[in-house]
Amino acid sequence: MSFAQSPAELWTRANQAYTDGNYAEAAADYSAIIDAAPVITRAYAPVYYNLGNAHFKQGELSQAILAYERCLRLKPTDKNAKYNLEFAQTQIIDNIADTQVFFLREWVTTLRNMLPLRIWMWSSIILFSLTLICLLLFAFAHSIGVRKAGFYLSIIFIICSAIGFANAASLNHRDSVRAEAIITRGIVNAKASPDRSGTELFTLHEGTKVTIHEVLGGYANIEVGNYNGWIPVNTLERI
Amino acid sequence: MRRLTYILIAVCLFPLLGVGMLRADDVQFRAQAPAQVIVGRPFQLSYTVNQRGKDLRAPEFTDFDYIAGPYTSQSSSTSFVNGKRTSSFQMTFTYTLMAQKDGTFTLPPATINIGGELYTSNGVKITVLPEDQPQQSNSGSAQTGGAGQTAQRSNSGSGQTSQSGPEQGNIFVRTLISKTKVYEQEAVLLSYKVYVAGVDLKQFTNNTTLPDFTSFLQQKIDLSDVQLELENYNGRNYQTATIYSTLLYPQKSGDIQIEPASFEAVLLVPNQARSRSIFDDFFNSYTTATRTLRAPGATIHVTPLPAGKPASYAGGVGKFTMDAKISNTDVKANEAITLTLTIRGAGNMKLLKTPGVEWPEGFEQYDPKVTNNFKTSTGGMSGTRTIEYLAIPRAAGEYTLPAVQFGYFDTEKGKYEVLSTPEYTLHIARGAGDQGASAQPAGVSYVNKEDIRELGSDIRYISAANFVPAGENEVLRVPFGSWQMIALYGCPLALALGLFVIFRKRIRENADIIGVRKRQANSVARKRLKTAKKLLAEQSKEKFFEEIERASLQYLSDRLSIPTADLNKETITSTLRGKSIDDQLIERTNRVLSDAAFARYAPAMGIKPDELYAQTEQLINDLEDCKL
Repeated sequence: MSFAQSPAELWTRANQAYTDGNYAEAAADYSAIIDAAPVITRAYAPVYYNLGNAHFKQGELSQAILAYERCLRLKPTDKNAKYNLEFAQTQIIDNIADTQVFFLREWVTTLRNMLPLRIWMWSSIILFSLTLICLLLFAFAHSIGVRKAGFYLSIIFIICSAIGFANAASLNHRDSVRAEAIITRGIVNAKASPDRSGTELFTLHEGTKVTIHEVLGGYANIEVGNYNGWIPVNTLERI
Repeated sequence: MRRLTYILIAVCLFPLLGVGMLRADDVQFRAQAPAQVIVGRPFQLSYTVNQRGKDLRAPEFTDFDYIAGPYTSQSSSTSFVNGKRTSSFQMTFTYTLMAQKDGTFTLPPATINIGGELYTSNGVKITVLPEDQPQQSNSGSAQTGGAGQTAQRSNSGSGQTSQSGPEQGNIFVRTLISKTKVYEQEAVLLSYKVYVAGVDLKQFTNNTTLPDFTSFLQQKIDLSDVQLELENYNGRNYQTATIYSTLLYPQKSGDIQIEPASFEAVLLVPNQARSRSIFDDFFNSYTTATRTLRAPGATIHVTPLPAGKPASYAGGVGKFTMDAKISNTDVKANEAITLTLTIRGAGNMKLLKTPGVEWPEGFEQYDPKVTNNFKTSTGGMSGTRTIEYLAIPRAAGEYTLPAVQFGYFDTEKGKYEVLSTPEYTLHIARGAGDQGASAQPAGVSYVNKEDIRELGSDIRYISAANFVPAGENEVLRVPFGSWQMIALYGCPLALALGLFVIFRKRIRENADIIGVRKRQANSVARKRLKTAKKLLAEQSKEKFFEEIERASLQYLSDRLSIPTADLNKETITSTLRGKSIDDQLIERTNRVLSDAAFARYAPAMGIKPDELYAQTEQLINDLEDCKL
């Protein structure tokens, strides 16, 4: 069954299985493509997207959300993945959207997530170079108009470059820390301390996205909305 | 006559000795005999069968003297109840026997032939008590062995006698305690037993004083069927009966005193007057007398339960076992799971706390249903408590139901024991109405707008585009924060800085040429003037004027940073005006320049060389003082 097959063959077979309604087979094949990949690049975003669909069709909500999130990590502009993620999130029980996030912060996060890390980074580098060119023009141009233009453009370019750099740094931090995770168990109670006897603080359900702050002895300190507690590590999976 | 009374009582209260249900459904063939008899007193052994039988074969009466029998008697009755006819038939074979020596003997079963089939009766166990010891002032009132009982009681308690000896006879109440040294919560059987010999006890009045058992939890034992027994006590045979019996569960430790109790008995006392006639003798006359019987108090030593109670201690003291049964470990979500715990044993069953079951998260649990099946007997309380825990898993997954622990104090071992159920692994599959996405692929509606009627909503379809598992462009894949990335910022920066430095230097150099010329303008002009003076001394006028013109022009070019090509009267005038030099000086400058030119190209004008030299020197000196 699982003899070596090229990713493209697996892809075709998985899509056929999905079309036939064999969601479990499809999911297994999509997973095989990902497992075989030497490095996960932007090209793999559709695989995650399709894997998410296959999981969703089997009712495996948390796995579906995980796959959509991973797809959007690779390709933040994927509209279908966004739509399906939102759709899957309407099916989860916890309503975390209630918690108030400062609107500016939300904008910044949205802006950051609009483009992938590389694009932010390269735009920052190019804009930085443009800034330098403009500064040289400002310093040495004979014409006063060119010098003025150089001055203002260099200010605009350096601000854009800084924004690009900050977004790239933020995305890089997110990807290296992998602090965001999805609850994979149906119901899990968060405790006040990382042990069995801890006071139970609140209940989380499958599919909810949480932020991991710390992992200690099989328990993870998580934050979701305004809540903070400890839940067993095996009840969640990092994005 | 008294004897007759005893017999009547005995017959009336004759308890049935273990009914032997024999082979056939209907045939009942049983042996009956008093449980206790006294040596040298005849007693009756009877075999009763409910169908006509013949050829009764009684066992060998080895330990008993055979006196008479078997006497056969029959009785039958027919009754109609609500039109339903019931008839019964009974055939009794009676032997009269007498015990030879004291001890406990068992009569083997007898057999009988009913309709060609042989039936066997039950065996009979008979305890033979010794004869009354000759006691002072005790005439040893005769008693026929008519009292029966069901079970031999083994009260080890030491009861002090509180005698109230009436005429010839003896009646007293003993306090019997099953144990005097117990643990907290361990049951103690306390019973009051009346001993009667040689007097007629008619009844007890309601005037009874019982201790108030304040430090105990009390569980009364039902004595609705009073049982009479024969008992040999202090060498005398007594008719005994338990008149009050209770289980006591000590609620505190220490020596607990039980106060004495008192009972009021009504005795039948024969009239002492001598009989006047034969009829008096025949119809014996009695009067009643009440007597207060005092049962002594007692002390119970209650040992506190030792320290180190397990966390799961449920208050039990005694001996228990626990069984657990789970209805199912593989269910779908929203299907109930029942865990049934059965606690079996003897002890303070009523005070047991229900052990808690820690259902995993996501299980909806209900109050446990407790079913008690307790029996209170003289041995204490025993039975089973069945606890059913119902829980409904609401979410799919694999869960562990931890072991349920039940801790109790084992009075036999004198230490705490913990019973534990096994740990169960529960596999909950996704159910039909499970939360989250349903198993059905489509039709989860969550939006119902007014304007557009949505029939359903679902996720978007998979991407079917060709998949090329491309790696990322190696050049573009610069890791964030790597040296390559720093270089990508650093190189343009370094380049820009380099360019900046180069441009800057060039400008500075340009700026310096002009500056040097400016600074050196005076000395260059003076040098030329010196040369001119020399030429004047040599009388070469033409060269003198040329030198003067050059010196002044060179000076102005250097001093005003005007390239030589652009140097003419107009530019000089405008530049000097721009530097706000006063008109007189400008006029002088122009005049010197034009004089020099005239003198050079039109020597006939008659310009005096000495005068021109002095004017030029003066002009240069004046311009040197100006800020240009």
